[in-house]
Parts: sequence; structure tokens; C-alpha cells
Amino acid sequence: MGAQGGAPVIAEFWDYVSDADNWWGESGLLFLTWNHLRLAFFATLVATLVALPPAVSLGHRRKGGAVAVGLVNLSRAIPSFAVLVLVVPFSLRYGFGLGFWPTFVPLVLLALPPIFANTYTGLAGVDRSTVEAARAMGMRSREVLRSVEIPAGLPLMITGLRIAATQVVATTTLGALVAYPCLGTPIVRSLQATRDNGELLAGAGLVALLALLTDLGFSLLERRLSPWRRSTADPAPVASIDESGLTPVT
Amino acid sequence: MNGPDSLVWWDWVGNHLDDIAAATSEHLQLTFYAVAIGLAISLVLAVVSLRWRRAYGPLVGFTNVLYSIPSLALFGIFVPITGFGFVTAEIALVSYTLLILLRNIVSGIDGVSPAVIEAADAMGYEPWRRFLTVELRLAAPAIVTGLRIATVTVIGLVTVAALIGSGGYGTFIRDGLSRSFSTPIIVGGGLSIALALMFDLIFIGIQWLITPWARKGALR
Amino acid sequence: MFKTRFRWLIAVLAVFSLFAAACGDDSSDTASTGGGDEPSAPVDGPTIKIGAQDFGESKILGEIYKQALEAKGFTVELVEIGGFRDILLEAFASDEVNFSAEYAASMLEFLNENAGEATGDADETVELLQAQLDDLELTALDPAPAVDTNAFVITDETAADLGYEKLSDLPADGEGLTLGAPADCETNPFCIPGLDRVYGVDLTGGFTPLDAGLVADSLAADAVNIGVLFSTSAKIADEGWVLLEDDQNMLAADNITPVVSNAVAEAYGDDMVALVNQVSAALDTDTLTALNKRFDIDKEDADAIAADFVAGLNL
Repeated sequence: MGAQGGAPVIAEFWDYVSDADNWWGESGLLFLTWNHLRLAFFATLVATLVALPPAVSLGHRRKGGAVAVGLVNLSRAIPSFAVLVLVVPFSLRYGFGLGFWPTFVPLVLLALPPIFANTYTGLAGVDRSTVEAARAMGMRSREVLRSVEIPAGLPLMITGLRIAATQVVATTTLGALVAYPCLGTPIVRSLQATRDNGELLAGAGLVALLALLTDLGFSLLERRLSPWRRSTADPAPVASIDESGLTPVT
Repeated sequence: MNGPDSLVWWDWVGNHLDDIAAATSEHLQLTFYAVAIGLAISLVLAVVSLRWRRAYGPLVGFTNVLYSIPSLALFGIFVPITGFGFVTAEIALVSYTLLILLRNIVSGIDGVSPAVIEAADAMGYEPWRRFLTVELRLAAPAIVTGLRIATVTVIGLVTVAALIGSGGYGTFIRDGLSRSFSTPIIVGGGLSIALALMFDLIFIGIQWLITPWARKGALR
Repeated sequence: MFKTRFRWLIAVLAVFSLFAAACGDDSSDTASTGGGDEPSAPVDGPTIKIGAQDFGESKILGEIYKQALEAKGFTVELVEIGGFRDILLEAFASDEVNFSAEYAASMLEFLNENAGEATGDADETVELLQAQLDDLELTALDPAPAVDTNAFVITDETAADLGYEKLSDLPADGEGLTLGAPADCETNPFCIPGLDRVYGVDLTGGFTPLDAGLVADSLAADAVNIGVLFSTSAKIADEGWVLLEDDQNMLAADNITPVVSNAVAEAYGDDMVALVNQVSAALDTDTLTALNKRFDIDKEDADAIAADFVAGLNL
């Protein structure tokens, strides 16, 4: 085994995925996929619940933009791997064990900033004249928020969710290092025990697929919610905070 | 009493400054080569995309796929082909920069006002000269933004690369993991964050330097 | 116009000088040489490249042999390789590595594809190992008395609750047992398959693959109730845990056995071999466990630990 070309590796991959035993059962790929998704979903959900209220509130008041930018940049700098390793001893000491909970923490930390920053900018960036028109029509602050700002800011909020969810799905893989059965498990197993390239590619391929589907799913949702945007191959220019529709904040 | 079982054992840090320096050097090298090579490739891909518009979609799609593969998996995929160490890590790291850089370069160039391009043409610039001196210059802020995002992302990923023996701050994290030793974990993780933030600031600075026309008070 | 170009130059220079500083300083191995007061005159020949894997014991052993050889004038390099035997063998084949401290029985079973030839006798096992190594142009030197094999460990509470003292005590269906061990336990002949083969115990149901460093913590936190540690791990004694006795001899002679390439053995001949054997002879299980303790529990550095040991050899 070792430095081989592509062909035998593909053969191993085919062998692995065409064996039904590898899909079904307690440690089968289907179970691992399900386990992977449920943690990713839960982490993203919690991050949304935590990030949304402050982001909406601050965005409405257009205060704290610098915090949003700073947070996102900071979070991109934090290596999830390090956070995971640091959380484990605490998780063990306080009875949360291995697996789910130690992995949950870095995932939430990963998801918070994109959701926060994009929600903030989505709301804060609503065209001022629209807001003022609404006010002039006699709407109060909360109504403006509900009927004008949130609907207008929704596409960017979905963008934030998209980025967060995709990154969380991809990073849940690290859970395999702390005994969480997920799609990282075949990768780690093949690297450390079985040395089976088919298993490695099956795990890696499935995660990549899931991440892409997540990205695609939310993209479609974004497009549905903003039909007025011109659809080009690249709908949103990449800007200073991350791959969202945010304009450079100087 | 500060010792091996404390969260940070300061004596250990003091005694391992040369290891920390070596790891910093490795981490920087891994990052630099990944971003530099990624930039070179992305520039080529961007030129291709600008010439043949239809290529852009598939190129973005392909680099998006690469980006979506979790780092652990991508490193793992290349290990049987290129073995452990620097090269494998670089291949995977470069792959992660492509999506970010390609999109930023293209959107930066796309963002150049047609009026400016026409003016350059009117002044007699040949296409290549115009591209290099006008469009690239004006696209520079977007490119620098892309470099900024790519660099910070790569610095974080290099910590995972230590799992396949490439060196860098991740080595400390692994050492700590293998013997329940929190000090190197915090040192490795902390320095990685510090390095990323430092480069973030550097790129913000570069962006400020090269866009005099965007600064407050500048004449339009 | 000039001003702007100047700013560009500064910006570019700033970035490059930063990286230039990084590139200028490649990490070099500057471990202290232990051994006698003056290193011997340099010996001519190929650099000895010791392959060390990235767990504590391997690093310590690598450093010990390195420093002992350096004390006698040999040029030695320590090479870190991934923690898998197939990668080590590739490294030997490509001459990236030409020396490694191996484990006799495990290496034998790896090479003979789990044929079950290894015995509890070190010399016998090494002889069989050499037969396999001949094809690879490698030579096994004398085995050390130190044995590091898999230790199946339970906490003293579990021992009190379930009354287990030896591996024969384990229930055949593995009921109530969650096994924490590195991922390779599933395929390692001296782990899960071995338990099945010799004791008829099937622990695959409750198996939790864990990074080697996490096993002890998980055992301590009761996330698993039986863990696989190295038998030379200092944690076992330190925590007062119970090492289940291998009463039916599933585990074979996993003595520390240096393996060198034939090229190196021929280049240096008896002097080097004698030196290495002298070092190995001084390594017994208790000593190795004590060295591991300094690494894992006292968090000392591998090269410092090795230096003390080599100094004590009075080469």
C-alpha cells in the first residue's frame, strides 16, 4: 500500500460502496450520515437561536457593525480542531462524556459569526429611504422591523445560515476524533486501522456531497426569496466579511 | 503552584521557545506557499474565466466541491498518493484557497467600471497592458480581500495538517492531546489565532495603502 | 502617481519580508547529546536515520538510540513518520529511514499477515521475524528485555464491582463492557481478534475507537469501562488501575527490537551493532515504564529523558 496511482484507489472505492453491509447496520454509512446530520442541524439551530435576537436588535438600531466584522474575522481564525481538543477534558470532567457534546461546542462557535454578521448587515443595510417612507406612513419601530426590515433583510439572513450550515456540516467530521460516530469515522478508521482507501473515499465523498447539498439547498432558498436579483453564474460578489453579499465595510 | 497540570505551565513555554519558533516558521511557510500557489493558479483560472465566460460556472463549481471537502478528508485522500508531510498538506491547502481567490479576482475585475476600460482603450493601451495596469490595479482591493480571507482560513487549516505530519502549531495540539497536557494545546491554538489576526490586520493595512481613492476626503 | 506606486512597493515588501523571515529559519534538530563527556571522533558512513512514530515511547526510544550513537561519533537524524507500520516499511524501502525501534511480535504478525507465529519467547519470535525481514533487506538486532504490549485495563472500581482479575474472567458476549482503544484494535491480532481467538470474548459490540491519548481520560471518566493502554504506560500504576492478567497467553513477545537496514549494518559492522545491543540490554520493562512516566505524567521532553538514560549507560 502506499503511493499508488488513481486506478486501484477507485477500485477500492467501488468495492466499498457496492458492499451493502457497509451501508446498513449500527456503524453503516446510513447511520453515520444520519448521526452526522443531526448534530450539524442541532448545532446550527442553537447557533441561530443564540445569534438571531442580538443581531436583529442591533441591526435594527444599526449599532455594533464593527463588532459584527470583528467577530467574523475572529471566528475564521479559530481552529475548530484546537477548540475540540480543549473542550474534551472539561466535557469528561463534568459528565458530558465524549462524542456529541465536545463536538457540539466548536460547531456552535463556528456557526455563530456568519449568522450574526449577515443578519446584522441584512437588517442594517436596508435602504434608508424605504425605512423612512415606512416611518412617514406612521409605522412604529417594531412594525417597521417586522414589515420592512426583516423581509428586506431576509435574503442575507439566509445567506448567513447557508454559510454557517455548510461549514458546520463539513466540520462535524472532526467529531470522529472524539468518538462521535459520523462521516469522519470511516476517514479516521481508514487512516488509523483498516488502511482501506475505499472506506476513506466513501466517508470523504459523502461529507463533501452533504456539504454541497446544504449549500445548494440554501442557495435555492436565497434565490426564491430575492427574485429581484439578477441571476448570474455568481449572484453575489464576494466582499470583505465572507462569501456573502456584503459590501466592503471600511 | 504553576506546574504541568495547570492550564498553562509557564516554565514549559519558556523552555520551549525554540520549538515554538520552529513551529511558527513551519506554520508560516505552509501558509505562504499555499496562498502564493493558490493565487497563481487562481489568476490563471480567472483569466480563463474572463476570456471564456462559460468556463466560469464550472470552475466555480469545481473549486466549490474542493472547498466543501472537510480538511481531514482531503488530507486523508492524498496521503496514499503523496505520503505524509509537507507536499500532501500543500496540495490540500492550495485547493482550499482556489474558490475564495477565484471568485474574488473575477468579481474584482468585473467590478471595474466600463467607462474606465473605454478610457484606457481610447488612450491606446493594448489589451494586455490595459489588463495589467488598469483592471488588475482597480481589482486589487477585491483581490486583497480574497487573499485576506484565504490566508486566515489556511492558517486555521494548517493546525489540522499536523495530523499528517506537516508541522506547524498543530504539532503542539497533538502533543497535548496525546498526553493530556493542556499547555501545548493552548499555546498551539492561541498562537494560531494570534497569527491569523495579525495577518488579518496586515491585509487590512495593505488594502488601505493601495486604495488612496477610496479614503475619506480623496478627490473622486 | 509616484506616491501610489511607492505605497504599492511598501505593501509588497512588507508581506515578502515577513515570509522571508519565516523561510530563513528552518527547524533543525538540536537535541543534546547525552553519553560520555566528549563525543568520539566522527565515524564515516551513511547517516543513520531513525524513524520515530509520534507517541511518547517511540520518541523516547528514538532519542535514546540517537544520542547513544551520536556519543560514539555516528551521524544520526531523527525522522518523524506516521504511526503506521506500512508507512514505516515504505520509509525503509525508500531509504527515508534506516533504523527503527520496533516491537517483535507485532511486527512479525504484520509481516506474516496474522499467521499467528509469534510466541511468548523473545528469541524465538525474533528469529521468525528475521526470516520475514530477509526479503526486505532488514536486520533485527537483539531484543531488549523491555516488553510493551497491549494492556487491558479496568478501573479499581470496576474491578471491585465486577470482580474481574484476568482476561478469562470476561464474559463471552462482552455484555456490559465498553472497550476504548485506538482504532486499529479491531484488526490488531493482539486486541479484539486476539480476545476472540484465545478467550472467546467478543468485544466488538461495545467498541469505541479512541485516539490513544484519550483512552486513559475516558477510562478515568467512566466513558468506557475497559481500556487498551500500553503495558508500559505509567498511568496504570499511577491511577491504581487493574491490568487484567493474560492468563492464556494471547499476548506474545512484543520486546523492543531495533530493526536496521542491511546497508547500514554492513557499512558499520560489529561496532555499531554491539553498541545498539548494549543499549537495548539496559532497557527493561520497569525502566521503560519509568521513562514513560516522565513523559506522560511529568510532561518532560523526550530528548531530556533520553539524555539521562544514556548518561546512565556510561558508554
